Amino acid sequence: AATELRLSHQWSDKDVRHQVAKIVADEVAAAGVDLEIKIFPTQSLFKAREQYTPLSRGQLDMTVLPLSYAGGQQPAYNLTLMPGLVKNHDHAARMNDSPFMEAIEAKMAEDDVMVLVHGYLAGGFAGKDDCITAPEDVAGKQMRAAGKAFEQMLAGAGASIASMASSEIYNAMQTGVLDAANTSSSSFVSYRIYEQVACYTPAGEYALWFMYQPLIMNKSTFEGLSEEQQAALMAAAEKAQAYYLEEAKKEDAESRRVFEEAGVEIADMTEAEFNAWRDLAKETSYKAFVAETPDGQALLDLALAVD
Amino acid sequence: MDPLLLGGLVALATILVLFSGVSVAVGLLIVSAGFLIVFDGMRSLELMPEIFFGKLDNFALLSIPMFIIMGASIASTRAGADLYEALERWLTRVPGGLVVSNLGACALFAAMSGSSPATCAAIGKMGIPEMRKRGYPDGVAAGSIAAGGTLGILIPPSVTMIVYGIATETSIGRLFLAGVIPGLLLVALFMAWSLYSTWRSGNTALLSAGSYSWRERVEILPRVLPFLAIILGVLYAMYGGVATPSETAAVGALLCLLIAMVIYRLWNPRDIWVVLRDSTKESVMILFIIAAAGVFSYMLSSLFITQSIAEWIGTLDVNRWVLMGAINVFLLIAGFFLPPVAVILMAAPILLPIITTAGFDPIWFAVVLTINMEIGLISPPVGLNLYVINGIAPDISLRTILTGSLPFVACMVLAIVLLCLFPGLATWLPNAVMGPGL
Amino acid sequence: MTVQSAAVAHAGKNLFLRAVAAVSTLAGWCSAAMIVTAVAITCQMIFVRFVLNGSTVWQTEAVVYLMIAATLIGLPYVQRLRGHVNVDLVPLWLGRRARMGLAVVTLSVSILIVAVMFWYGFEFWHFAWDRGWRSDTVWGPKLWIPYLALPLGFGLLLLQLVADLVAILIGADRPFGLEDA
Ligand code: NA
Ligand code: NA
Repeated sequence: AATELRLSHQWSDKDVRHQVAKIVADEVAAAGVDLEIKIFPTQSLFKAREQYTPLSRGQLDMTVLPLSYAGGQQPAYNLTLMPGLVKNHDHAARMNDSPFMEAIEAKMAEDDVMVLVHGYLAGGFAGKDDCITAPEDVAGKQMRAAGKAFEQMLAGAGASIASMASSEIYNAMQTGVLDAANTSSSSFVSYRIYEQVACYTPAGEYALWFMYQPLIMNKSTFEGLSEEQQAALMAAAEKAQAYYLEEAKKEDAESRRVFEEAGVEIADMTEAEFNAWRDLAKETSYKAFVAETPDGQALLDLALAVD
Repeated sequence: MDPLLLGGLVALATILVLFSGVSVAVGLLIVSAGFLIVFDGMRSLELMPEIFFGKLDNFALLSIPMFIIMGASIASTRAGADLYEALERWLTRVPGGLVVSNLGACALFAAMSGSSPATCAAIGKMGIPEMRKRGYPDGVAAGSIAAGGTLGILIPPSVTMIVYGIATETSIGRLFLAGVIPGLLLVALFMAWSLYSTWRSGNTALLSAGSYSWRERVEILPRVLPFLAIILGVLYAMYGGVATPSETAAVGALLCLLIAMVIYRLWNPRDIWVVLRDSTKESVMILFIIAAAGVFSYMLSSLFITQSIAEWIGTLDVNRWVLMGAINVFLLIAGFFLPPVAVILMAAPILLPIITTAGFDPIWFAVVLTINMEIGLISPPVGLNLYVINGIAPDISLRTILTGSLPFVACMVLAIVLLCLFPGLATWLPNAVMGPGL
Repeated sequence: MTVQSAAVAHAGKNLFLRAVAAVSTLAGWCSAAMIVTAVAITCQMIFVRFVLNGSTVWQTEAVVYLMIAATLIGLPYVQRLRGHVNVDLVPLWLGRRARMGLAVVTLSVSILIVAVMFWYGFEFWHFAWDRGWRSDTVWGPKLWIPYLALPLGFGLLLLQLVADLVAILIGADRPFGLEDA
């Protein structure tokens, strides 16, 4: 009988990350190597943040996961969602193929986890009443940020942080519990945040928010496959990775179009504003990262060294 | 094995295990473990505590104990009696005064409590003896309170709506609003039936019980003010930008505890402990079922049963209303045996894809589902409200309570039919307040 | 119909049963205290955010952990109060001896499954403790603290279930808490 692998993720079947998983599954099936990948979308097997542990213990075979979700287990992962570290999608692609990513993959190997498909997705800011482009725009605002490092940076800029699930952003914005939010381009669109905000700052020429969301696999499970199966998997992964990069670029443009069509003002971040954010991040999130991570400075330097 | 056949086996095993008398939550864990061991291997047992923990790891669940505390703290004071008395004084000119004011009190109390047994207990303690004293038949007295109590989960706040919202990722604020008009509709239907049955019994003296002077009517108003303050405060917090619905529940719980302590002098630590004990008991019971049902739904998903059933129904070429009818019969049967929370959690992952594929609105369906679950609350063998009535008036036989509440069940079925004919009854208010849905 | 009834598991004069009952009651107090604490923290969070317009980074998480702990630690107490809903149609219909047999079987299987949850819950807790896992938030508490509720809650429930089994075997309590027909 064919070997069956189980892949779990949190998104709908329309999401790019589902498509990435599906490409791998379809390609492997087409290769005819007696390998079948069963996809469990929309958290139908495990909840989003509860996928890493079973993956690392071999109870789940594959997942598409924002790696920073496991930042509490491997603090190094927090570097995969750090403000201003990645400048644009091409830069992100170079990150994937750098000594920095090798170091991150070494951390994954400690947990018996390996990467099949690398990929970053970008995101922006949305304000209920005003535009958010520079640090001074967030002072005194109630904000919901995606990721610990962003919360630290925004708090440093004088914003108040309210933590809630991204599915709650819509209602919280509507009733005024939140003044502004920061999340991925696709979440902004899928949660229809454009109905509740006056201004949107998409990921453009300068973007702060890049999140590493690879398709990862249990390493021992991979090593237990036959050579043909491994080769088919790697070939499928390569194809999926190329698709992922192209789609990631399209998502930002698509979110800009959707917000524009909904009559929301679009504000772009300037280079000076980007630099101001990054200086702030160095004093807040970078500093906190180095303080709490063993060999944190070395890892940060590796990331900053990627040109 | 074919996932559909496997699904049938799981259903059979679940029925057998639950009928053995084991508690519902533990039963769900037993069935899950059994099927996981056989079809996923021994190692999947390792995952069970992790999944159990994960299902409880959700901020929205906080509102369950909170909305239960709201009801329990008020129910432990004479507040229920005040509410009931005030309504009676004001509704005395309305024919059928006493039973109508009881139902009105149930509806008002339901707006403060998320659970049905609490609503039933709060109004029943005062209402049932009073109605019997004035000559209402036992069946009408017990049946009206049992049925009126079920409004606790339809009129917001509602524990079942919260659980549905979590299970299906729909907005809890929206779900709450969707229950308002159908809740009022049910109150109206209940009242209409009570009036008709009292009139038919020929005892027309009951229809004009007492008469109160305007002075007596105005006098009692201040005693109802705390209720209005709580309801308005909670509504303002929820829809006025102070807090999310789950957070609002905590404000409501605190307000109710404070009002119980300050206005109703609930000072004695022993009395406060009774409130906390009852709330803890009901909350832990519900949360245990939620977490165990989470493990159960993991098993269903892992064995690909959920997905296969949804796919299979999708390929069936049946009229969507036939489908809706079948779903309701299934829910009704499940509701006879299981508490609402367990039914919703076990059925939602399978039903939701079917519902949306057939073009039904999940918010509308939540209301239909809730009314359906209300029927289960007053039907044997597991009907939480029946136990409450039995506790208040042990001398009324189960048969009398059942026959008394049967006409109210007919009202609920009528309400479901009306909702199918006019879906706007459920969807208009949330859309008007919160804009068109997602 | 015993569900939600006022019946409490009977301990009689047996020392073991009384000790377990005391532990379960203590657990119930802790559970109630945790629920009240969650109310207070949530209200504090709304006050900080809405009135002071300040940051609220730890409250949601703390409240969630408290609710999980309240549920798990509350399990033995609710078991003692016979608060866990069951369908007792068949037990009611059975004769005295068959009912006793069924009660022994259901209690034994319950004990087994709760023991499984206790054991792997302990293992999961130990894993998190051993590896020093934290939650991935700014607050970042050590995860072994909330995970501790798993072995603790299931362990105490296990104890109460064993006591319930002992109680019906020595005749201190009736099967399913039902009156003899
Ligand atoms: Na209610
Ligand atoms: Na029932």
